[in-house]
Amino acid sequence: MTPPPLLDVRGLTVEFTAPDGAAVRAVRDVSFTLRRGETLAVVGESGSGKSTTALALTGMLPGTGRITAGRVLLDGRDLAGAGEPLLRTVRGARIGMVFQDPMTALNPFLTAGQHLTEVLRAHGHGGRAARTARAAELLALVGIPDPRRRLDDHPHQFSGGQRQRVLIALALAAEPDVLLADEPTTALDATVQDQILTLLDDLNRHTGTALVVITHNMGVVARSCARVLVMYGGSVVEDGPTAEVLTRPAHPYTAGLLAAVPRLSAPSGTRLTGIPGAPPDLALLGEGCAFAARCPAAEDSCRTAAPPLLALPGGVRAACPPAKDRTAPPWTPPPPGPAARPAPGPVVLTAEDLRKVYRRRGRAGRKHPRTALDGVSLTLAAGETLGVVGESGSGKSTLARVLAHAHPADGGILRLRGEDITRPARRHRHTARREVQMVFQDPYASLNPRLTVGEIVAEPLIAFGLGDRAARDHRVTGLLRQVGLDPATAHRLPRSLSGGQRQRVGIARALAPGPSVLICDEPVSALDVSVQAQITGLLTDLQRELGLALVFIAHDLAVVRQVSHRIAVMRQGRIVESGPADEVCERPRHPYTRALLAAALSPVPGVHPSSGAGTGAPPAATAPAGSASRAVSA
Amino acid sequence: MTASAGTPVDTSASTPGPAAASAPAPRPAAGRRRSPYRAALSTPRGAAGLALTCLVVLAGVLAPLLTGHDPTGQSGQGLLAPGAPGHPLGTDDLGRDLLSRVLYGIRADLGVIAVAVPLGAALGCLCALLAAVHPAADTAVQRAFDLVLAFPGLILALAVTAVLGPGRLPVILVVALAEIPVFGRQLRAGILVQRGREYVTAARVGGTSPARLLTRHVLPNAADPLVVQFAVSLTVAVFLEGAMSFLGVGVRPPEPTLGNVLGQAMPYLDRSPHLAAGPLTAVTLLVLGLSLLADALNRETRR
Repeated sequence: MTPPPLLDVRGLTVEFTAPDGAAVRAVRDVSFTLRRGETLAVVGESGSGKSTTALALTGMLPGTGRITAGRVLLDGRDLAGAGEPLLRTVRGARIGMVFQDPMTALNPFLTAGQHLTEVLRAHGHGGRAARTARAAELLALVGIPDPRRRLDDHPHQFSGGQRQRVLIALALAAEPDVLLADEPTTALDATVQDQILTLLDDLNRHTGTALVVITHNMGVVARSCARVLVMYGGSVVEDGPTAEVLTRPAHPYTAGLLAAVPRLSAPSGTRLTGIPGAPPDLALLGEGCAFAARCPAAEDSCRTAAPPLLALPGGVRAACPPAKDRTAPPWTPPPPGPAARPAPGPVVLTAEDLRKVYRRRGRAGRKHPRTALDGVSLTLAAGETLGVVGESGSGKSTLARVLAHAHPADGGILRLRGEDITRPARRHRHTARREVQMVFQDPYASLNPRLTVGEIVAEPLIAFGLGDRAARDHRVTGLLRQVGLDPATAHRLPRSLSGGQRQRVGIARALAPGPSVLICDEPVSALDVSVQAQITGLLTDLQRELGLALVFIAHDLAVVRQVSHRIAVMRQGRIVESGPADEVCERPRHPYTRALLAAALSPVPGVHPSSGAGTGAPPAATAPAGSASRAVSA
Repeated sequence: MTASAGTPVDTSASTPGPAAASAPAPRPAAGRRRSPYRAALSTPRGAAGLALTCLVVLAGVLAPLLTGHDPTGQSGQGLLAPGAPGHPLGTDDLGRDLLSRVLYGIRADLGVIAVAVPLGAALGCLCALLAAVHPAADTAVQRAFDLVLAFPGLILALAVTAVLGPGRLPVILVVALAEIPVFGRQLRAGILVQRGREYVTAARVGGTSPARLLTRHVLPNAADPLVVQFAVSLTVAVFLEGAMSFLGVGVRPPEPTLGNVLGQAMPYLDRSPHLAAGPLTAVTLLVLGLSLLADALNRETRR
């Protein structure tokens, strides 16, 4: 007989009240159990209700959110209807939480030690000296070197990864039975993500704390959790052992999501497969299966009644009645064949020894300027994609902005078809700008909220004085079709579009003046995995049709490898390695590239993607920074 | 009043790609969103504010129709109690009809603030635009704002009247002067915030000229706080005008304003408190109405 589960969630339903007074169900009938010491991943895309579920467990729903049905049993005690006093004794003491953004989750006025002792005091832990000792112990537990001394440091003195470690220490301070980590590594670089996941793994093994990791990243699931709960549109669609679910997905959504995850092992030129359509709008969701609208195997019954979770062999449960009689995989996505790519043409854009220095305010800032670009050279041919990878602060975004003339370069030469456009005269700047356009990372921030889609796309046409009104309208319609949007979208405001649609608008705007170079600064990193593939596919198609030269900047090596002809790896404002995409990923030369490859996560459980790339300790940690001093040209 | 937080949008705040969730609950018109200003005015708070403000403004505008008495016409019947025949609010010490003095006082007040606040707002915005052009201009404008802000409103008022003498013009000047830095700073901050936004960079890369960048992308998105500020400034102007007239450095008697009617009631406060009741009520209603309006606008535009 197995012991009763530690946490038993039954039929949890959470509703929000929309501004117009309608009730929106963000979580529908979610049930799962968690045993002591178990690791569970809750995976899903935006709007899947995964974070809301986590917040509902400890009664921390924001705003108008409320639990309308179901029970949350912690050791048999119901938390769903519990009052604030009981919940306060549970939060921290029984269920600890770690949030996504380590940069904003710590109070900048308090030291790490003060943060920790405050929590310890709240949970009635010993005297002052005992608390300080325990705080140092906790910092040591989460792997912060020299914990005694670091207690007196303020948050800004810790790196991003260390801050996340401090937050984990805070969550562990009262020795909870469950650690709830909501996207604990999303804001972190790949190498740091790897360290944090290792830490969570160790903590689970050594302290026996049950771990619930909420994430959108299949790689994190495969890496850190034994069991997985896949959520979509507020409901659980599949639930089972990670190894089983990730290798033999029973639900079409899980299968589609896995197919959409870019694999580092896929060679350059492989087309990503996405799930057609966009994640559902919770307010519009009917009674049926949330995925029915995008499901290739949907039957009529799927659209009318919510499918129950059915037990399948292998300990898996899937909310897909047709899956029960299915023997073949629910959905075989089109084989990831190589996309037809024409050979690159003549060189369009060259950069030689680009430099960019940011001088901060004040004397100290002037004395120690931050070098964002330190002698970057690259060439780009028509019809070619140059992938630029690097972690945060490596200068990738600065490079994009300098190439697109959004910021002036402080040194170096930029040539467009041999002509110097580094500091163009006012007259020539327009030509240079027309030829080099940019797609931005954040499809929310990069569209003016007050203009309609049509006005946004027409803006560059007006700015460059292209065509009269009728010609512009015609061109806008053509551009929207080209990026796969209904021309009727032109009259809508960006806020009524989904993330993928907005990114398409951003691409249409960039294409409007007929550029020959498109600089894409993290064009897919703010998008859901199932939508990512649509956008990268679109960019590849556009490149083929228009002969565009693309600079594709991203932090995810797997995406970059599939999209790019060549890859340049950036670190501290320099290109440390560059070469053909497959060459760089298969036979990395620079230790930093090897570290990046080693830290990349694969959605296949138990497989480390970089088996050929020298695993073990990340060389970046050991390699002195000076080893990157030789600037490589891409 | 719906709580501004807690729409389903918030639930996905911690997920990396808030794609679907941030498409808000579908509104009847998926295209143009409803004007936040109209939405603000239809909330109970906004409607109450609008009603109160309209009530006071109408009373002032329709003053000649609402009372037959000349606000400066004296009579032999001084200090009549409210309800006296022909004088619903009674008369003041010089036998002038109090109702007509209050109504004409509102009229005079409105005349001052309706000129002064838009003037101050326009000049302030102009300064902010100037500051947006060049860092040097920015520093100059900012320090000039500091200089004006260094004087409390009343000291400024006294300084101006010391030069110009009391009257309507100095009041307008003082109110406008006090509002210039407020609007200037507000707009400058808005411009700085919007200029850092990615869509402005996108427009710049898209070849948009600096002037068009400002008028099409930056200013429309920086304007919302100004509308709210306008409503707030109107209340401040009512106070400032009242205070100046009360102290006798504002609009010159015998022309009534809310401030000087109140000022003239002061010596009789112990015997005839009703003299002060009229102007006080008018000021209170006007300020309350404007504050409610400002608050409603603020809540809606910040969503």
